Amino acid sequence: MKPRMPLRACRWGVPILAVFALLVSARDASAQFGNILKKATDKAEKVQKAMAPMTLQEEREVGREVSAKFIGAYHLYPDSALTRYVNMVGSTVAAQSERKEISYHFAVLDSDMINAFSAPGGYVFITRGALALCEDESELAGVLAHEVGHIAGKHVIHIVERDKAMRAGVEEAQTHTPGSAYLENMSKKMLIKILDQGLAPGDEFDADQRGVRYAHAAGYPADGLARFLTKLDQATEQGGKSFWTRTHPPVPDRNARIGQTISAQHWEDTDRPKLAERFAAETKAVKPKA
Amino acid sequence: MKSALRILALVFSFVLLGGIAAPRPPAQDQSTQAQPAQDQSQQGQQAEKDKKKKKGGGFFGGLKAVSGSGSEQQEATRTAGSKSAGEPESGQSIGDVTPSAADRQAVSAMEGYSIPAPEVKKFQDDGLLKSK
Repeated sequence: MKPRMPLRACRWGVPILAVFALLVSARDASAQFGNILKKATDKAEKVQKAMAPMTLQEEREVGREVSAKFIGAYHLYPDSALTRYVNMVGSTVAAQSERKEISYHFAVLDSDMINAFSAPGGYVFITRGALALCEDESELAGVLAHEVGHIAGKHVIHIVERDKAMRAGVEEAQTHTPGSAYLENMSKKMLIKILDQGLAPGDEFDADQRGVRYAHAAGYPADGLARFLTKLDQATEQGGKSFWTRTHPPVPDRNARIGQTISAQHWEDTDRPKLAERFAAETKAVKPKA
Repeated sequence: MKSALRILALVFSFVLLGGIAAPRPPAQDQSTQAQPAQDQSQQGQQAEKDKKKKKGGGFFGGLKAVSGSGSEQQEATRTAGSKSAGEPESGQSIGDVTPSAADRQAVSAMEGYSIPAPEVKKFQDDGLLKSK
C-alpha cells in the first residue's frame, strides 16, 4: 500500500501554488504595464512639444536651412560695400522691431527678379532686381522693414506650429546636422507654402503695417513701401518677375491700408529724408546703365 | 495523491508558460542608448559652426574695412548684371536646391557679420534720420 499524502497538505498545496503563480504573472503584467505607460508618456511628451511654441533655437535652425536654399538658388551678390549698405539700412529699421531677442542679418541675392524674402530667425534677403527698382533709401527701408515685420510677426513660424507634420520635422531636426533629411524636407515644404501658395493675406497686411511703423520710427517717411509697391505693380505688368505680385494681396489694397494707417497716425512726414542721392551712390552697381 | 500531483504539475506548467510568454522589458531604453551618439553629433555640429564663424569667409568677412560707396568688387561685378534665365521661379524649385558647403558657409558668415553700433549711429546721423 502506497503512503498517502496527508489530506491537509494536499488541501493547502494547490491554493498556495495558485497564489504563487498569480504573483509571478502579476510581476510580468506589471512590467508590461510599465512599458505601455512609458510609451504613452513619451507620446504625450511629443504631442506637448509639437503644440508648444517654437524656441528661438528651433527658429534659427529652420531659418538657417531656408537661407542656405535661397543662397544656393540665387547666390549672394558679391559686393561687400552694397551688402554693408543694405545691412546699415536693415539694422536701422530692424532696431524698431518688437522682437529684440532676434539678431537680424541682411544680404543681397544676385537675381534680376524683384523679390525680398525673410526666413525665420532673422535672415532677410533682397534681390539685385528689387534694389534696382528702388529709387531712394526710404523705399529700400520700407521693403526691408516689411520683411522684418514677417519675422517679428512670426508669420512663417505660426505656419510651422500649426502644421504638426512640419513641426515633427523640427523636433527631429534637433538631433541632426544642417542639411539633414528632416530639415531639408521641412524647409522645402515651407518654401512651397510661402512662395507658391503665399502667406495669408492678413499676414501680408500685418507685415505692411509693421514695416510702415518701423520705417517711420527709424526716421524715414512712412510711405516708402507704398511707393515701391506701386513701381513693382507697374514693373510686373511690363514683364518683371516677382513672387510678391504672384502671391501677395493686390497692391491697391495694400497701399490703401498703408495710406489709412499713415492718416490715422497723423504721420506728416513727407519732409523726412528719402535719401535718394545716398541710395544712388551706394547702389550704382545694380542700376541699369543709361 | 495522484490527482494532487497532477494539479501541481498543471499549475507549474502554467507558471512556466506564463513566464516564457510574457514579454520582457527592453534591456536598455532606445532613447537612452542613442543619447551619447546624439550628444556627439550635436558637439560636432557646434564645433563645425564655431570653426565656420572663426573663418568668416566670403565677402562678409572683412566688411568692416570697407567704407563709402566704391569698392573693387563693385567694379568687378558691375557688368555681371543679367542672369535671369534659368533662375528658380517657384518655391518648389528653390526647395529642390541642395545647398553646397559654400552656401552654408555663406549663411554662417551672414550670421557672424554685424556692423558696430557707433557706425550705424553715424550712418543714421549722416542721413539725418531721427529714430525714436
